[in-house]
Amino acid sequence: MAKESKKHPKQEGEEAAGVSRRAFLTGTGSVGAVVAAAAATGLAAPKAFGQGSATSNANRATDEPPVPTKVEAPKKTEYQCDVLILGGGFAGLNAAMGARKAGQSVVLVDKGRPGYSGLSSFPSSHRWYDPEFGDDAQALRDTVQRGAEYIVNMDWYQVWLDESKGAMQRLKEWKILEQFPNAVETGHAASNNYVGYREKFAEKDRRPRFVETMEKSGVQIVMRTMITDLIQEDGKIVGAIGFDVPSGAILTFRAKAVVMCMGGGSIKPTGFPTAGNTFDGEYMGYNLGLPIIGKEFDDFHMTVSYAAGNAFLTNSWEYLESLWLCGGDITSKNAIQSADQKGKILIQGRILKALNGLAANDGTAMSDLTKGDATRRGATVSTNPADPRVGKRNSPTPIEDVVGSAAGMCLHLTSGIFCGLDDLVGATGMPGLYVAGDGANASAVTGAAYPHGVGFTSNFCSVQGWRAGQAAAKYAAGAQLGAVSQEKLAELKKKIVAPMNVKTGLDPNWARDVLHSIMVPYWIHIVKTEASLKGALAQVEMLRDEVVPKLCAASPHDLRLCHEMKHKVLSAEMKLRAGLERKESRGFHYRSDFPFRDDKNFLGYIQLRKGKDGKMEMSKVEVKDAWKGDLGQEYTKRYGWRFPGEAKAKGLPEETAPPAGAQPWAQKG
Amino acid sequence: MSVQRYDLNACIGCRICNEICPMDVFRFDEALNKSVIAYVENCQSCGQCYVNCPGHSLVLSNYNIGFAVTSVRAANTAYSKPAAVAATLPVGTYDS
Repeated sequence: MAKESKKHPKQEGEEAAGVSRRAFLTGTGSVGAVVAAAAATGLAAPKAFGQGSATSNANRATDEPPVPTKVEAPKKTEYQCDVLILGGGFAGLNAAMGARKAGQSVVLVDKGRPGYSGLSSFPSSHRWYDPEFGDDAQALRDTVQRGAEYIVNMDWYQVWLDESKGAMQRLKEWKILEQFPNAVETGHAASNNYVGYREKFAEKDRRPRFVETMEKSGVQIVMRTMITDLIQEDGKIVGAIGFDVPSGAILTFRAKAVVMCMGGGSIKPTGFPTAGNTFDGEYMGYNLGLPIIGKEFDDFHMTVSYAAGNAFLTNSWEYLESLWLCGGDITSKNAIQSADQKGKILIQGRILKALNGLAANDGTAMSDLTKGDATRRGATVSTNPADPRVGKRNSPTPIEDVVGSAAGMCLHLTSGIFCGLDDLVGATGMPGLYVAGDGANASAVTGAAYPHGVGFTSNFCSVQGWRAGQAAAKYAAGAQLGAVSQEKLAELKKKIVAPMNVKTGLDPNWARDVLHSIMVPYWIHIVKTEASLKGALAQVEMLRDEVVPKLCAASPHDLRLCHEMKHKVLSAEMKLRAGLERKESRGFHYRSDFPFRDDKNFLGYIQLRKGKDGKMEMSKVEVKDAWKGDLGQEYTKRYGWRFPGEAKAKGLPEETAPPAGAQPWAQKG
Repeated sequence: MSVQRYDLNACIGCRICNEICPMDVFRFDEALNKSVIAYVENCQSCGQCYVNCPGHSLVLSNYNIGFAVTSVRAANTAYSKPAAVAATLPVGTYDS
């Protein structure tokens, strides 16, 4: 690969327009030098392999050995247990520990290594409700109901109020919430010394604690294994099947109960590290005939337009620093204002940027949460100095100016398998199957938006995981290990390896790029119309019918990609169909052809499920009356901000335009 | 914008990158006792392998031939074009 070693003139000492960036890039002379040196040594003959640490640039070996063609299969390929947990993020960790506490034997399977896979490696803050420090439950309920635009599941929200502190305390006990100085304070930020900073606080790194905590508790962990199917016998879930990704060996798991905590997904992330999450659980749930909701509400994560695709650039300090403790920022005085402000910043702001375009980016704008005011970063406003919730204080990273860094991803905690309006444990209705966490359990605790403030997801996933783990343990205690027929296993194994047997076909990486190009434009997920969604749907149906059956795997690595693509295509179809069905605008779903809230028809969820004929069926589920807010309230009082075109459509006065140069996305999600 | 080999001599054969990569980018050469960057096209540039490599054998490159497709994108000055980005972004080193 050719490498660019020429320095841009700005690096040669020319005064850059953006002083803040130049100041931040102290020490970049050495960065340029390394890039140049890498280019030089890349052309040289590889040095002998040996042990030792990096010395001078001239002696470095930068060529790779050939890719090993054979990987030994794991010795153990059959497992059985009381409770099987699929996915090892915050939900999976808590589900496993909850089931162990109830005395059941637990096996947990993860596509990577728990603590490092999916999104669980990347949250930067953690929020809980704490009456000890004066939090006002009613203020929180008010802000959430209004901000989530009256389709938030208030019963699950009450569970959060009741159990969020307990979840925080569990994580603290497991050493996942260790606090340490940020990289500005230690000086590592000034020299971009990421590795030095990590090594300084290696003992406080929360990620190794996932596996340690579970193993100490007797949970058996199976890593780097992709589950592709649940095993169903006599209407019950009796296990799961998948494959060891490095070797391609088939692994089978028999269990009395299964908890799916596999996260949501995205098509191809550009700047937000979600690529390991690929709707695997949602796909399995849909194919069992379970209802899926929440697909039309799009996630709002952002990236840097000039380096879109560079996740490390965007998330470096957020990854390396503490999980910042947040909360205490919503009071009875600011509850309504806070909800409206979040809608304006996160939703109205991104719509206007998509419609109007963006100012040219010179790469100098930095987001410095260490200097931001307390409320902006979701910090405590408590005057109690004992309140540990100091808010997000991450070291400076570039300001993310475009959305779409996690294209295809749904709003946190809104989408996935729907367990009904009354469920509070994640029971799917399919005996033996439970769901928990982001993208798995569509509990709709975020409704149509994400009004809680930063740090909610990692805490709520912990709350939900613990509940589902305990419920599954209770079920398992009264159940027998189900029999699995050899015919069933043979059929499932054949399905898993099918892409390995495709002789002439298509590359899953190519298919992913095609799907990404269809789904990522702003007219598909920010400003939707019937025409734009229908156009995309026609393309996605082509992928479904023409490409997915031809996906070809040349290695077990590819086999994973082929299955993931199949899941992504189904998810995209659901997203488009749900978006077409919701003929109104609400929260993160904006239809420019229906630019207003329609309380009469859409105070509820769009539900999708696989029909008897194999076709996707749609229906609506109305939310409980108690969740709808005051329906007698005047429209302009009930909704605190307008979508573009809403005032005209409803005959209301136009809103004042935001000030010129306003950066609505400067606030990090 | 992906993982890149900084120095294979420095790989101590600990397999941490193999285990923690969420994207299955690495394989392991048993005979050489070295990790192998096998599927770099699936690197999501999260940098976990880079910051967690005890031997300092890996690095994260900011070099990119073009921009990723996003929903919208701003016009960019020369300073923020791919080549300049590659040369100036705060990619980490082991020298600082």
